Amino acid sequence: MEPDFLATVLLSSLSSASILLIATLGLAVVYGLMGVINLAHGEFLMVGAYSALTATQIGLPFLLAIPFAVFMTMLIGAVVELLIIRRLYGRIFDTMLATWGLGMVFNQTAVLLFGTVSPGIGMPQWNFRIGDFSLAVYPLTMIVVAALLLAFVYVLMTKTVYGMKARASIQEPQMAQAIGIDSARVNTLTFAIGCGLAGFAGAILLPIIPATPSMGLFFAVKGFLTVVVAGPVALTGTALTALGLGGGASVTASFMTSVIGDVFFFFVTALLLWLYPLGISSKWRRKL
Amino acid sequence: MFKVSGATGGYGKTTIIRDVSLEVQPAEIVALLGRNGVGKSTLMRFATGLVKAQAGTVEIAGVAAPPAPSKRAKMGLGYVPQGRFVFPRMTVIENISVAAASNGFDAKQVVAELFEDFPLLVPKAHDLAGGLSGGQQQVLALARALAIRPKILLLDEPTEGVQPSIIDEMAGVLKRVNQEREIAILVAEQNLDFCLSIAERAYVMEKGAIRMETDRDSLLADKVLQQELLGV
Repeated sequence: MEPDFLATVLLSSLSSASILLIATLGLAVVYGLMGVINLAHGEFLMVGAYSALTATQIGLPFLLAIPFAVFMTMLIGAVVELLIIRRLYGRIFDTMLATWGLGMVFNQTAVLLFGTVSPGIGMPQWNFRIGDFSLAVYPLTMIVVAALLLAFVYVLMTKTVYGMKARASIQEPQMAQAIGIDSARVNTLTFAIGCGLAGFAGAILLPIIPATPSMGLFFAVKGFLTVVVAGPVALTGTALTALGLGGGASVTASFMTSVIGDVFFFFVTALLLWLYPLGISSKWRRKL
Repeated sequence: MFKVSGATGGYGKTTIIRDVSLEVQPAEIVALLGRNGVGKSTLMRFATGLVKAQAGTVEIAGVAAPPAPSKRAKMGLGYVPQGRFVFPRMTVIENISVAAASNGFDAKQVVAELFEDFPLLVPKAHDLAGGLSGGQQQVLALARALAIRPKILLLDEPTEGVQPSIIDEMAGVLKRVNQEREIAILVAEQNLDFCLSIAERAYVMEKGAIRMETDRDSLLADKVLQQELLGV
């Protein structure tokens, strides 16, 4: 096997894993710090994608369209938390049903507003070559974006007062209140941040994955499984799981077919959940 | 200073405490005695707001306390629960800092102060609380409660599963903070010696109600009551 081919496979698999991580991080934050599984996460990603698309269509440069998408999704996320999630704390299956339904509403609203097909955004397609192989630059930069995003969320959750409050609230909810933490407000912010991360993902991935009303579904399934396999140490667990599952599936797909890549993903997920029903990180001694 | 009046509450439809009233004066240490299952912990949780009131009120520093536990903490109600409940995946420093910061105090300064009070936490400063021994966790739970600079401190079974040397250290610190910072303390205990070493006055609970109020000297003289409280 030639080294050029190996390098290409490695880079593009790392890039696939990074894309999965970017798309999943918001879900991991909401699950890891609120114990809520947000099945509308994929739809928030879609909202982020459409927000960024709309912003570029009215003339905003792409780099400014991203913060706009984050702002929009955080705002919608905060409203959703106040109106729906707040009433369902501790009822994980009810929350899943409610967010699933919410996802459908978002999905249909997008169909009504934008139609089922939408234009991609015009981004210059830079490529570079390794030997005989050509790789697009933008998907590769996602490796750096994923690393930066992970570092940002890690610092936010471990070095700030908000982060400490959020972790205290999920670890011992009653004691968190008894020492003066207003958990309700912390949870609203956490959910908004999780949705904002989804919006960021939808916007930054827009040049790779065009906005469509049903784009969320693909990420919802894989993202959900990644977070469940990761377990309670949400951030480190999700990063490792995304790298292992996403990267592994992509490597498998490069050597065989993309169907076998997906089979790898779901087979390994099932195996890991059989071995670690509470997630791979259930016995780790780590902060996040 | 701290006053519970007509407290009635429990879990779901079960009422555990009925019409309980008690009072702690400023800078006073009061013990809450009674055997297992008489409702001491429920009364403590009622006072924090974690058990919803079916009837009754709580007063902190002369002001009626709102129902939300977080607001009661901000009014100066510190709570060390039975079983400690430290935040397991947070470091010792973070456990203290989050309590201080949530009440608007400078976290670094509070941590430095409390490390002086509890030197045994210093070597563990950066360890996750979940990995500490039972006694160390108890001391941390106490430090976390003091980090909110309370006016009244509620301690629920602070000596349970804690080695004697640490119990002595806790008793020493409690007496000191009580005198120096004028923190009133209400301590629920099975350990009679510990209570008698710090408290001046005591309430005895039975079947979800206050059976009697007594002071240290009468309790020391009353061997029958002592036997009853210690008896299993």
